[in-house]
Amino acid sequence: MTDAILSISGLGKSYDDVIAVDGLDFEIFKGQCFGLLGPNGAGKSTTLGMLEGMEEPTRGSVHYLGKPFPVDYQDRVGIQFQATTLQDFLSPHDNLKLFSSFYDDPIPMDRLIEQFRLNDFLHRDVRRLSGGQRQRLLLALALAHNPEIVFLDEPTSGLDPRSRRDLWDMVSELKADGRTLILTTHYMEEAEVLCDELLILSHGKTLLQGAPKKLIKEAGVSDLDTLFLSLTGETLVKTQEVIE
Amino acid sequence: MSSISRSLRRMRAIFIARNLEYLRDRASFGWNLVFPVMIVFALAIVFSGPPRALFVVTVIGTEALPEIVNFPGVETISDQQDKALDRLSRQQTDLVLKIVDGSVGYWVNGNSASGAILELLLKYTEDRPLQRGETDGEAIRYIDWAVPGILGMNMMYSALWGIGYVVVRYRQSGYLRRLKATPLTKFEFLSAQVLSRLLVTLTASVIVFVGTNLMLDYKMVGSIALLLLIALVGGLAMITLGLAIACRTESKEFADGLLNAITFPMLLLSGVWFSLDGSPEWVQVIAQVLPLTHVLEAARAVMLNDAGLADIALSLGFLGVFCAIGMSISIRLFRW
Repeated sequence: MTDAILSISGLGKSYDDVIAVDGLDFEIFKGQCFGLLGPNGAGKSTTLGMLEGMEEPTRGSVHYLGKPFPVDYQDRVGIQFQATTLQDFLSPHDNLKLFSSFYDDPIPMDRLIEQFRLNDFLHRDVRRLSGGQRQRLLLALALAHNPEIVFLDEPTSGLDPRSRRDLWDMVSELKADGRTLILTTHYMEEAEVLCDELLILSHGKTLLQGAPKKLIKEAGVSDLDTLFLSLTGETLVKTQEVIE
Repeated sequence: MSSISRSLRRMRAIFIARNLEYLRDRASFGWNLVFPVMIVFALAIVFSGPPRALFVVTVIGTEALPEIVNFPGVETISDQQDKALDRLSRQQTDLVLKIVDGSVGYWVNGNSASGAILELLLKYTEDRPLQRGETDGEAIRYIDWAVPGILGMNMMYSALWGIGYVVVRYRQSGYLRRLKATPLTKFEFLSAQVLSRLLVTLTASVIVFVGTNLMLDYKMVGSIALLLLIALVGGLAMITLGLAIACRTESKEFADGLLNAITFPMLLLSGVWFSLDGSPEWVQVIAQVLPLTHVLEAARAVMLNDAGLADIALSLGFLGVFCAIGMSISIRLFRW
């Protein structure tokens, strides 16, 4: 992990009078699982949107391998949005076929179906999928073209504990493949389990950055939520509460 | 792989996905076929009785009209000579009158009994010299006249809602944002939507046309190929109108209101249910800027009068320009 795949400098985003993201500076390295943490409204999704190339920064820059985004940046990244509705009446199989056809060299569908365990509901209308099944499908669609960087915007939000664990396993497998993963979450345990590096945001600004264990150790607290509480007086949702 | 073949591959994928979505939505699919058939049959039943017992006299000019126009049971309308004679040949009017240099010029349809009666009345009541003209042509039933209107109306609803409403739904649900994160371009997405809806609209129109004609045997004297061409260009015009509405709209409710605001005037002023002959000039001016008016004028000219390509060229030209403007606005303003 020596080369920065994304370099973020002075990044900011405003909507009229509202400053959503306010001057962020950080780097994300190849093969890293990088987590953006913070409560609702902290600026996580807006920051992610700018790293994905989906939103234009108001100020500052995001560089890919030291340069502005190349024309084919969308071919290099896979995105799992926080809330995506797919076309009604189509099945996971139809959707995989559709999204694979957008790319020149997609991952074979059979491999995706196996990797994300889609077989049991492969031909079911997407409207009838459970939350966990749906997230697995969305993750498979994000991976259809074998991207170098994968963005996951609150991938386990609203899932039951078992589905959450399932998805963690799948994200861990992607990490093991050496992909760069960038995820947002407000679940502390999720961040501790999955991320190599964390950027904790509050009101669009950097509060802390570092490896989860290092941050906890340096602060002398028991977990990230306690750390966040001690810094801001606000609390985050603990995954543990949901799992229990 | 060339960029064109990549583009075609992506367009094909979106085209197929949209068709699958539509075909599997059995309620919408069925409604698109059942609704116009229901209307055609309802009209056939409602208007299956004897023709109305009212004489219609069309006058050219308003000076020194014969006494006959004031008879009870005689409806009088004013029109231009060419339009009046055209209506006479279709027996939509029974007598055409024109005062020329102190004499009364009149035309009747040689096949019309009502015309013969009015001619007798005219001869009996009029002292001025009479100049006779004659046309021929069979009467047109209301169902013959209304069928193109119903087909056009169905095409309008299918095209406008099938594109306008659906694209806004895609946007509101975040599906367009998901597509934006792929190499799919605006042009590819919009073209695939247009082609998919065109296929649906044309197929539904052909099925309804053939099915109802087999059962009701309404009038179709012109070229089927020309009628298909009108459906193709007319369908495209409606679809691009739907796209233009959807290119920025973010709320389904607003899109619904906007679509209603556009379809309602067309329903009233494009001649779907009744002819605008004799209506105020400003109404006819407004009607001429509505694409459905041109679809119906061209379709009726082909179906009822055996019009050729040259006869409907103006309407087709208008629809073609309408398509080009609608598509360029849509591509320019479209937001994922």
